Amino acid sequence: MFVLLNHLHRLRRSTTPQATGRRGSLALRHVDAGSCNGCEHELTAAANPLYDLQQYGLNVVASPRHADVLLVTGAITTRMATALRVAYDAMPEPRLVAALGDCALGCNLLGQHAELAGALEDIIPVDLRIPGCPPTPAVIAKALTAALHDLQALTPARA
Amino acid sequence: MTTSRSDPVTHRGAPEITQVPAGGWRRACLDAHDKGERFGGLFATMRAERPAQLRAVFSTTAGDRVITCETTEGTVQTIVGAIPAAGWDEREAHDLHDVKFAGHDPLRPLLDHSARLAAWTVSTVGHDVHQVAVGPIHAGVIESGHFRFHVVGERILHLDLRLFYKRRGLEAAAAGQPVAAGIAYAQRACAACAVTNSVAYAQACEAALGLAPDRELRRARTLLLELERVYNHLHDISMICAGVGFAPGTMAYAALKERAQRLNERLTWHRFLFDTITVGNGAVSLNSEETEHARRELGAIRQEHATSWRELQFVTSLQQRLGGVGVLSREDAERLGAVGPTARASGVRDDLRADSPRLWYGGFRPAVSDTAAGDVASRMTQRALELDQSLALLDELLARALPPGGVSRVSEETGIGIGRVESPRGATVCLIERDGDRLDAMHLRTGSYANWPVLAQTVVGELLPDFPLINKSFELCYACADR
Repeated sequence: MFVLLNHLHRLRRSTTPQATGRRGSLALRHVDAGSCNGCEHELTAAANPLYDLQQYGLNVVASPRHADVLLVTGAITTRMATALRVAYDAMPEPRLVAALGDCALGCNLLGQHAELAGALEDIIPVDLRIPGCPPTPAVIAKALTAALHDLQALTPARA
Repeated sequence: MTTSRSDPVTHRGAPEITQVPAGGWRRACLDAHDKGERFGGLFATMRAERPAQLRAVFSTTAGDRVITCETTEGTVQTIVGAIPAAGWDEREAHDLHDVKFAGHDPLRPLLDHSARLAAWTVSTVGHDVHQVAVGPIHAGVIESGHFRFHVVGERILHLDLRLFYKRRGLEAAAAGQPVAAGIAYAQRACAACAVTNSVAYAQACEAALGLAPDRELRRARTLLLELERVYNHLHDISMICAGVGFAPGTMAYAALKERAQRLNERLTWHRFLFDTITVGNGAVSLNSEETEHARRELGAIRQEHATSWRELQFVTSLQQRLGGVGVLSREDAERLGAVGPTARASGVRDDLRADSPRLWYGGFRPAVSDTAAGDVASRMTQRALELDQSLALLDELLARALPPGGVSRVSEETGIGIGRVESPRGATVCLIERDGDRLDAMHLRTGSYANWPVLAQTVVGELLPDFPLINKSFELCYACADR
């Protein structure tokens, strides 16, 4: 175990959050609404020692009740649309919705019309857009650390 | 480099088509099965104004066979009694095209989410039996799907899976596209198996078009498949460590996976190797400087993996949680049609790479440990064994520059083609039907699709809190199964 820990100690992060001097945290809830699993792999990778998003106060939480941000991935399938709305409704205000990846942004969707419910913003309001197929952990880290420091600018005046 | 690898021995051409009447469907399938031909999937295709067409794929080292029939009365006899692996396939054909399978009773819904709870679950009764429903949204960063556990105390009595929440209808959407364009749909089925699914699709099309890849194209595709296996296996070891909460192991292997994916990006401009496969053409070329860099980087990954793996052997708090948990016996693995590292960890010596004339695997022997016990520990060790094997293979593949490859015509064109590729999760079969340059139908049966029902069987009798660990030791994709 010492060897493992010693090795991890030598790794250096490749993320640098924007230097505003302020610290904060955001609780993230992820919902896979019909992805190809690429966005999930990269979101998981954003917690690896080279990006280490937890260090900057960005944590994935188990319940939407505890979440500030709903991170949605995938072409929204008709089969996931209801569960997605339930998760969104369960979140306390103020809340943000992030569309993670091109599918959630409604770009270059592949599939059968009857199985897809439309772009995320047609279903719930979207505040943060993170493009990419899939977005790399570096892009995810940059977008989320920026949101961390810019939460007020992003939080819409929806009371 | 061995000569057997560089010189093509045979080319698996178009499959042999055996057309039978609906009444002879079961007999024909069971005859093939009895002759030792390996079941590779059962699919239904709709033709305008015609009843559904059934196809069953059987393969041997000599080639592939497609048994096909028209369901004139809408019903055929089931084959699940002799071939339990066809269970999900029959349920899917029923849900999609209303084909009935006499003797498959009850024929539970698989894709159909409108069915009542009682229709898709097995009813369990007895003292203290209760159900635990999980999903479709899971607690971590996990794909969506619903599990319904029937438990007594903490012991799992039965598990009903309800997947297909992520169904995008990729196969139906691909139908009608030009043959070359269909590959995008196969690739999008799953990011973690994108290369496998694309190669399986490309092989199916090339078999139908009477084309065979040349030596360089076989080398390029094999290289990409093995790069995909390496980052996936590193990921799986990381996830098994996460399954028992051993963070140093999780993070060490997550860092290694990151390193492998950065290499992917450097070589192909994409961390998941997207868009590196095309039908009838090579899409990747590397100069000797690039192959040499990749070889060095993979050598470093190999060394670091060896060090980390050795350390994991001495962590008793990890090792004691893995042994004897989630045992899949060799008999069950063979009977249920388990594939990939899961089957090999139970002692089944099966790996499509040993029979891949369209790729660069000459002389390949499946890695199976003498101590394969079918438990979580064995499935984890299997990943490490295969990592060593893949990294050694990559070292050979990268020994010189990689020029862009191509294909040559070797046989007549046919309407149906089959591609079979070993993904990081097991045998993936792609069947395409074409009408000239137009794709009539695409069917993709991935390693995950084959192994999901096996997982449900394996967890019976285990503790509910061990489910995440057992699940991670299978590490199946939902996206690949749902399509």
